[in-house]
Amino acid sequence: MHAAILTDTTKCIGCRECVIACKKENRLPPDLPRRWSRDDGLSARNWTSVVEGPGGAYVRKQCRHCLEPACVASCPVGALTKTDLGPVVYDARKCMGCRYCMMACPYGIPRYDWDQTVPYIRKCILCYETRLKKGRQPACTEACPTKATIFGDRDELIELAKARIREKPDLYVHRVWGEREVGGASVLYISDVDLKFLTYNRELPPEPMPQRTKLAMNAVPFTFAGVVAAMAGLNWIIDRRRKLQEHPEGDEAPQEGRSNG
Amino acid sequence: MARVRRLKFFLWALTGLAAAVGVFRFLFGLGAATNLSDAYPWGVWIGFDVMSGVALAAGGFIVTATVYIFKLERFHVIVRPAVLTAFLGYVAVAVGLLFDLGLPWNIWHMLIYWNPHSPLFEVGWCVMLYLTVLTLEFLPVPAEEISRLASVRRFLVKIRLPLVIAGIGLSTLHQSSLGSLFLIMPEYLHPLWYSPILPVLFLVSAIGLGLAMVIFESHTTAYFYYRKPETHLMASLAAAARWVLVVYLALRFADLAWRGQLHHLAGAGWQVWWFWFELAVMAFVPIAIFSLPQTRRNQTWQWAGALFGVAGVVLNRVNVGGLMHQGRGDRLYWPSWTEITISAGIVSAAVLAFLFFIEHFRVWQERPVDPEADPRKLPELSAVGATWLGVPVVANRTVYSLAFVGAAALGFALIHPQPASSRGIVPVPVHNARGADVLWIDGNLDGYGVAFPHADHEKREGGKKSCARCHHMNLPRDKASPCGVCHRDMYAPSDAFRHDWHAGPRGAALPCVKCHTPGRPRTKETAKTCDQCHKDLVAEGAVIKVKQYQAPSYTEAMHRLCVGCHVERAASRHKPDMPRCAWCHKERRRFVDAPDLDFRGLRAPGSEVVLPPLPESKSKR
Repeated sequence: MHAAILTDTTKCIGCRECVIACKKENRLPPDLPRRWSRDDGLSARNWTSVVEGPGGAYVRKQCRHCLEPACVASCPVGALTKTDLGPVVYDARKCMGCRYCMMACPYGIPRYDWDQTVPYIRKCILCYETRLKKGRQPACTEACPTKATIFGDRDELIELAKARIREKPDLYVHRVWGEREVGGASVLYISDVDLKFLTYNRELPPEPMPQRTKLAMNAVPFTFAGVVAAMAGLNWIIDRRRKLQEHPEGDEAPQEGRSNG
Repeated sequence: MARVRRLKFFLWALTGLAAAVGVFRFLFGLGAATNLSDAYPWGVWIGFDVMSGVALAAGGFIVTATVYIFKLERFHVIVRPAVLTAFLGYVAVAVGLLFDLGLPWNIWHMLIYWNPHSPLFEVGWCVMLYLTVLTLEFLPVPAEEISRLASVRRFLVKIRLPLVIAGIGLSTLHQSSLGSLFLIMPEYLHPLWYSPILPVLFLVSAIGLGLAMVIFESHTTAYFYYRKPETHLMASLAAAARWVLVVYLALRFADLAWRGQLHHLAGAGWQVWWFWFELAVMAFVPIAIFSLPQTRRNQTWQWAGALFGVAGVVLNRVNVGGLMHQGRGDRLYWPSWTEITISAGIVSAAVLAFLFFIEHFRVWQERPVDPEADPRKLPELSAVGATWLGVPVVANRTVYSLAFVGAAALGFALIHPQPASSRGIVPVPVHNARGADVLWIDGNLDGYGVAFPHADHEKREGGKKSCARCHHMNLPRDKASPCGVCHRDMYAPSDAFRHDWHAGPRGAALPCVKCHTPGRPRTKETAKTCDQCHKDLVAEGAVIKVKQYQAPSYTEAMHRLCVGCHVERAASRHKPDMPRCAWCHKERRRFVDAPDLDFRGLRAPGSEVVLPPLPESKSKR
């Protein structure tokens, strides 16, 4: 099973029970001052939030747990990993605080403990340690009173989402967000409004973000070997030329003479 | 050599200022010391210190390649300064990174936790290895002066060629990989800057501008040490830098054209102007200066061209590193003065180290004749305070120390100790109260709530205009004032009356109307007086006025000591008045109301307990 969440924004009444459940489950302290956070309600102390979309629609925002996450590919020490179960989890013991994951995430999800002297990256981990491992669903989906956000297997949820869209084709935008963008995600959305605002009004490409660096990273060993070989070769050629210039009759003769003598 | 002295004074001051700010940064964290936020996780420390620092230190590998691989021997005189610049540049990068990392003590984690897919992992490793290479390349210079290290020096000179080749390979990798860092964020970086060939662009620009840095460094140090400038040599470097920059321009425009992004140049927005500005500073102007024979061979023009190049590469790296990122937040990131100070301080410390090596080792063919170390010079009065500071060498050190300490003190004075201040007012639309007229408030969820008549409060406080009395819209995330802000007397403990004991579920749990008249405002003034209920405690006719409240602990402590026995023994001693308040507060009133206790704040003036005289017989006892 691949753990996933489907959020149907048409069912959300904006009660923020999921936000409260998340804060309780993960024992998150009160929020950070505004100067350090974006205006979407997410912060190191709020791993999920309900934002108001176009037309007053309530849309729940959280980590998308991409199938090929940019944050995992960018972390130089491998502190972020995509687990087999689905969630992208964070190992605070490995982290060195470079914040490259925050720069790389196309959804702008990872947040930082800006008020701390010893800060860590914070984001939704789908209640991996406290619930998912023990076979329970995340706190947010459990708390939702209208079942607007539900937990399940990713493939089944995609089927369910499409069935809902088929059922009410006039209501929904004919699209499951998270199915394809940047390689797909474990957190899916269906909605009656365009959810482009979640990605800062940009249409994300279908190919995963890490693919863009893959080419450059694969070239690294070859570049190194090529440059070193070229430099060594140039050095040899130039040395030889100079020797030939100094001893126009050839540099083999004196060496042979020396070795003979 | 007053120029060096003035320069050093300035650099020591900057280093001192940065030292103070650095202490602040490590004590209070990144958020307090910088303007970074969730929207802009990388700032000037990455864009300037790390990315520009690495690019400007590229001179090291270019000059070593020129001399040791391409065997252009006439450049041999600039090898040592170039390697030293590169070495100190990379040390500065490492120090800058330590400031920027949230958990700098974990920087070594890259050695044991590997993620080869990450460009940053590659950059980190290459920088580490190249710093080692640079150390080994430069070590022969100080080793010359120490006879014990002669064998080490001989060995290092022997392995120089492999070192140089490794250095070139490593530099190629990480100079380009710094560009690869941004390949993963195409949706943020402006299309005029984002390109799949960013690694190549970074490498080529680093080569061109590493050369510019060598020119800049050579002329600047020549100026400060009254040295004969290496104008002729630099003209050749300038000519080379020009061609590299031309290649860079060609690559950049060819890439834009190839991917069909040229139409962005016709678009509106300040970014387009900024694009042209960046290219002008970084390429057009240096190319022009380095192309015209008159300017290329002129020392001042060379210096100006190199300065443009250096400024341009910094501009380019800052642009790619964060300034040209779109959609990260509504606000634009602007570095705080603390960030700029740290950056400037790191550069100053690196320059000071550079000057130290120049003065004490044979980085140049000749060591500069340094009057700082010349005690034969006539003593002179220092400009600082016009006091005699000793012989010149001592005087100079005194002045530098003063600069450092003074600037550090200034830094500590300037730092604002409120790291968590809000960024400002965010307008929020005002709604009418959504609940009914009476809201049920049970803040601590213990089941004991209170009915809050919102409509009544609104009416009493003066209609719609009075919303802000409780709902402080100027305080971010402040929902409303808690009840206790106005009904302070309900919760404030007093020495004579505790409201929450009377009303709270853990105390007597009396209903409000037990003391307050129903239908009237429930205030202290309209409530029943103590003696109306506590007939057994308060003597008849006593008036207890508690105008000001004080901490209850003193009263409680005294009462617990005395009252227990008084109650217990009242019957056995046949003194029924003994447990009453007036029993003690009459007899020993000086302990309570004596003026000499006022200063302890036990009882402020005007808040007296007024007790009528007890009947004669009882007071005599």
